[in-house]
Amino acid sequence: MHPLAWVCWLAGVLVALSALRNPLHLGLALLCIATVHAAHPPADRRLPAISPLRIALALTIFSALFNALSARFGATVLLRVPGEIPLLSGPITLEALVFGALNGLTLAGLVVAFGVAQGALPTSALIGLIPRAFYPLAVVSAIAITFVPTTLRHASQIREAQLIRGHQIRRLRDWLPLLMPLLVGGLEQAFQLAEAIAARGFASGGRADLSLPLRAALVGALALLLSGWLLALAWGQVVAGQLLMLAGGSVLIGLLWRAGRRAPRTRYQQIRWGGADSAVLIGAIVVIGAILLPLPAIDRAALTYYPYPALQPPPFDPLLGFATLGLAWPATVRAASAR
Amino acid sequence: MRQRLLSGAVYALSSAIGVTAFLAPFFGPGVQEASSQLAGATTAPLLLTALVGLCFLALLFEAQGTMLGAKSVALLGILVAINASLRFAEVAFPGPGGFSPIFLLIILAGYCFGGPFGFLIGAMTILISGVITGGVGPWLPYQMFAAGWVGLSTALVRPCARALRVEGRGGEVVLLAIFGGLWGFAYGAIMNLWFWPWSAGAAAYYWQAGISAAETFQRYLAFYMLTSFIWDALAALGNIALIALFGAPVLRALERFHDRFIFVYRAEQGGR
Repeated sequence: MHPLAWVCWLAGVLVALSALRNPLHLGLALLCIATVHAAHPPADRRLPAISPLRIALALTIFSALFNALSARFGATVLLRVPGEIPLLSGPITLEALVFGALNGLTLAGLVVAFGVAQGALPTSALIGLIPRAFYPLAVVSAIAITFVPTTLRHASQIREAQLIRGHQIRRLRDWLPLLMPLLVGGLEQAFQLAEAIAARGFASGGRADLSLPLRAALVGALALLLSGWLLALAWGQVVAGQLLMLAGGSVLIGLLWRAGRRAPRTRYQQIRWGGADSAVLIGAIVVIGAILLPLPAIDRAALTYYPYPALQPPPFDPLLGFATLGLAWPATVRAASAR
Repeated sequence: MRQRLLSGAVYALSSAIGVTAFLAPFFGPGVQEASSQLAGATTAPLLLTALVGLCFLALLFEAQGTMLGAKSVALLGILVAINASLRFAEVAFPGPGGFSPIFLLIILAGYCFGGPFGFLIGAMTILISGVITGGVGPWLPYQMFAAGWVGLSTALVRPCARALRVEGRGGEVVLLAIFGGLWGFAYGAIMNLWFWPWSAGAAAYYWQAGISAAETFQRYLAFYMLTSFIWDALAALGNIALIALFGAPVLRALERFHDRFIFVYRAEQGGR
């Protein structure tokens, strides 16, 4: 899949998980994310990361327990914590447990979804998503990601060398003989790297500071954003405020696009946008549209769910459920390409 | 002069938008109405994320503009790699509470190389360490913003060191340690605001639409003391201990390389 198709999918996931609290629709969204997770193993070997599913389980359990211990609402009391301990004493209710679990599942879904996209994309594709206006920071990202394994290896070598000399790590102060060689060695490496990339023509077009008109336009865009924000939120002028924010955001994005055009881009390997990517894009648009737009055919009450004061069966909207299935498209793309 | 004024305006406006975005739920009637549904089907968090993201891009673009040369890029890349490795080690072998070793380099490098450099090292450390540990998510812009602020605010420490006449002396490290301790609490307090306005619970500890700013502050303080104070206190103590123990030698190393990295070519008189 094209990296931008993944970005569109993530946008759909973000909107869905931010808005859905109904356990049935939330469960459907999470099932779609889990399907995509199963269909897309990591693209390349990177540093071992903590399993997103393990993180998801831990988040759900922690959130449920935390909410059950801190919120004292609900008709179904499971047990009572005696005494006068602040925040802890009082009834623990099933409704609080369910509410906390729903919040935890939302967070877990976000962790898994972002983990899937990050694992499916090679590092070069992730860096390639950085806009052209930020090309120096893209180079910084490439350098940093490339040198993290080198740094860890270097740290291991320093540790072995210190062990041979009888150095023991017992207190915090004992880490200094490890940190300083690592830092000084890294800075020396940076100096050599600077010479190497300068020899290859990096920033050879002369010092290109931000021009005065560009900076002034940037200030103008930020001023529009801030004034629109304050108008909409503090003074209740929602329409005027949103128009100003839209104008400020558009100017800012236009500025970044204009600045990016000064950075010519070449590609070693072109990733082409295909029909499968369009399908993922359409699936994301359908999900976002169904949730954000006030469509008369969709029952808006089915988006939310409030377990208090007593648990009741949540509603289910078939049209919303069908739209949510758009999040599963990346799994079908993977299945089709495997055949 | 105009460039410096405009640059200052970019930093000021971006920070103002960031601060108002974090504090928005307490003052905005639209967000208050949405939050009264207890974080149901609301687009307020999405709007906040978009706004924080946009102004963060502007700040990043401005900070990046001061360092387009090969030396600055290489220096930042290597320092971010070292700091991201420290965060990876922190994730693999967690310290007590909120202890994190990454703020040592962010604060000292920002102090040595300037506020914009500190902002970039803070933000890029969170980004790169998020990529390598699988911690990328919608909370990332907030974390990058907060960590960037840590680095950016180190620009305030050097004038204080000069005023107190401790620049280049032992008192400089003490000042930086206090600065690191304060940010240990502030970072956690800022990140709590990402979810606290939309959380529900006992009235004495959670926010509700319609209450005054004073009541909001009181409830947040109560929530913070009960849920986050000990965690952030360990983070603050960690920052103080790391800067106190390692600050002097690390600063000496960074300042030695500062002289090697930051130099300008000047043509000789007579055109030779």
